[in-house]
Amino acid sequence: MPDPRTAEERPDSANPVRTDPHPDFGHPVQADPPPPDFKHLVQTDRVHRRIYTDPGIFELEMTRVFGASWCYLGHESEVPNPGDYRTVTIGRRPVLMTRAADGEVHALLNRCAHRGTVIATEERGCAKRLTCPYHGWTYTLDGRLAAIPFPAGHPMTDREALSLGRMEVARYRGFVFATLNPSPEPLEEWLGPARTALDVIIDRHPGGELAVAPSPQKLEFAGNWKLSWDNASDGLHATFAHHSYNTLGQSAAVETVLARDPGATPMVSLAVGNGHMVVDQRPGIPQGPWATMRNVPFREPLESALVSSGAGDQLDLATGSMLNLSLFPNLIFVGNQLLVIEPLATDRTRLWLWLTSAPGAPAEIDLLRLRVDEDFVNFGTPDDLDMFERVQRGLSIPEMEWIDVSRGLPDEPGDDGVVTGAITSEAPQRGYLAHYAKLMSAPEATRAR
Amino acid sequence: MTGPVASTAATPDAVRSRYDELAELVAWVEGRPAADPALAAAVAPHLVREARLLDSGRFEEWLEGWTDDAVVWAPLSVPAHPGRDQALFLDDRRRLAERVSWRRDPAAWGQQPPSLTVRAVTGVEAWADAGRVVARSSLVVHEQRHGLGRQLAGYQIHELAGGWGPARGRDASGEGPAGEPVGDPPRFRTKIIVMPALSLGVRNPSFLM
Repeated sequence: MPDPRTAEERPDSANPVRTDPHPDFGHPVQADPPPPDFKHLVQTDRVHRRIYTDPGIFELEMTRVFGASWCYLGHESEVPNPGDYRTVTIGRRPVLMTRAADGEVHALLNRCAHRGTVIATEERGCAKRLTCPYHGWTYTLDGRLAAIPFPAGHPMTDREALSLGRMEVARYRGFVFATLNPSPEPLEEWLGPARTALDVIIDRHPGGELAVAPSPQKLEFAGNWKLSWDNASDGLHATFAHHSYNTLGQSAAVETVLARDPGATPMVSLAVGNGHMVVDQRPGIPQGPWATMRNVPFREPLESALVSSGAGDQLDLATGSMLNLSLFPNLIFVGNQLLVIEPLATDRTRLWLWLTSAPGAPAEIDLLRLRVDEDFVNFGTPDDLDMFERVQRGLSIPEMEWIDVSRGLPDEPGDDGVVTGAITSEAPQRGYLAHYAKLMSAPEATRAR
Repeated sequence: MTGPVASTAATPDAVRSRYDELAELVAWVEGRPAADPALAAAVAPHLVREARLLDSGRFEEWLEGWTDDAVVWAPLSVPAHPGRDQALFLDDRRRLAERVSWRRDPAAWGQQPPSLTVRAVTGVEAWADAGRVVARSSLVVHEQRHGLGRQLAGYQIHELAGGWGPARGRDASGEGPAGEPVGDPPRFRTKIIVMPALSLGVRNPSFLM
């Protein structure tokens, strides 16, 4: 008899896989770990390994974090015309971001109302209707059932109930967010002080025009998704983990920003509320970001063309803003890429790295951006991926339970609740972990509209 | 080790034209008829040797096999254009040298410990075109690292620099038309690595070069 309760309702839901003893052998059942107590697992100065290793907790995160929070869905520039759609995964749910006939952007659950078939599988497309390949049910791009074949045989008592599931959608200056929380916080409140950083990133593009290019790099690692989140505001690791990047291509040892004692620089890291994090390297780079750029392929001809046409001051646009912003739980602005986190399993994560372009800038800027952003992905990101996998392996040791996150304590929030620390402070990690613990211990409902 | 060489393209138009050339080469190869078996047989040992140098970690020798205007491009999927689409990487000659030094850096954690690789180069086709030779071959890379094994499969396109041809090797005098010794290995001007798995997502692919 199947258990009629949902995974959320079962008391042992943090540990859904249990093995009963075989009657012939009668091994004692291995004691289940107790249901997660997030006040114990996430403390101010330390975090328990279980939030990275427990498959039950991962399952809960898929609803309590990725279901109930606003998540980054995509950018409006990816679906410019009515009929355009893109397939997205949010907390393992197949989702469609569509532009419907009315010009609005929608987030639809990519699941036929009939038998649950995933309707669209290609990464992007354009269609007047979405047609399920299994039995031919068709939907409009705002999710309404348009037609079913042979309708005479179907009672069709409630046509609206046969719509595709819908997520709540909100947009901020081209960035589209979606949630399954039926009464979410208004998006701008959810952004909070992080909005200032987002504005800086958008406004550095001429005319505030930022577009997302269609081909993302996709990299996976054998580790929990939070390892990449931890790393996004980790201002200390670059000096060590990225040592090889800091010296690459230099015949003599040259002091770079990252190679200095990072804590002694005026760079700062901030916990900006709701799990959002900021690392602001700009104060440490008064000469501007382009001055830190390596000799990426085909740099010189593009650079000198810009300089000789009087547009040399725009070169900073070819590299990142040096203001790293992370919007919890799945969007990280790094360089000129949007790094989107897709959790696959407790110990498996896929990273999508979307390149942004500056349509209002001289064409050389976007040409440079391609090679600039590939540079770190080739010679910096492999370090990070390796560290994530090493940490996941280390966390497999049951007898070593705790991760230290105390660096930079005590945290002293300002009037706006923002905690500002040295770039080496773990204040941003503590900030998101506190928000995470709140979401996990007082779950909000999730529901498709 | 060869010192760094800056890109040989002098203007933005030269950059664009090199990018166009790369995108067009993929399409050009797709449109070729079946290869001349003698040409394919003459090219194959050089592709196999390139794979051997990489698998054996003889990166400095491998680097010597590239022209000053060389490009190695790993698009995420094809068709693609290097001036519009992100790639896994697009290396010019200078970047190839940096990649070799990166592979030697004990603090380049993404390759410490280094990947152990076996490249299987099969199905070699080759065509002569306007003084150059272009080859396409299937490539399966078996990789082991951190105690885990995996395979990446795809194909690669090589453009051999102008002037090299199998006729030279057949010259009974022992010298080619330009006076180079028989068997002088060709230099590569272009390599395009097409790995379908890159469009889905792969673990640390930094052994590809």
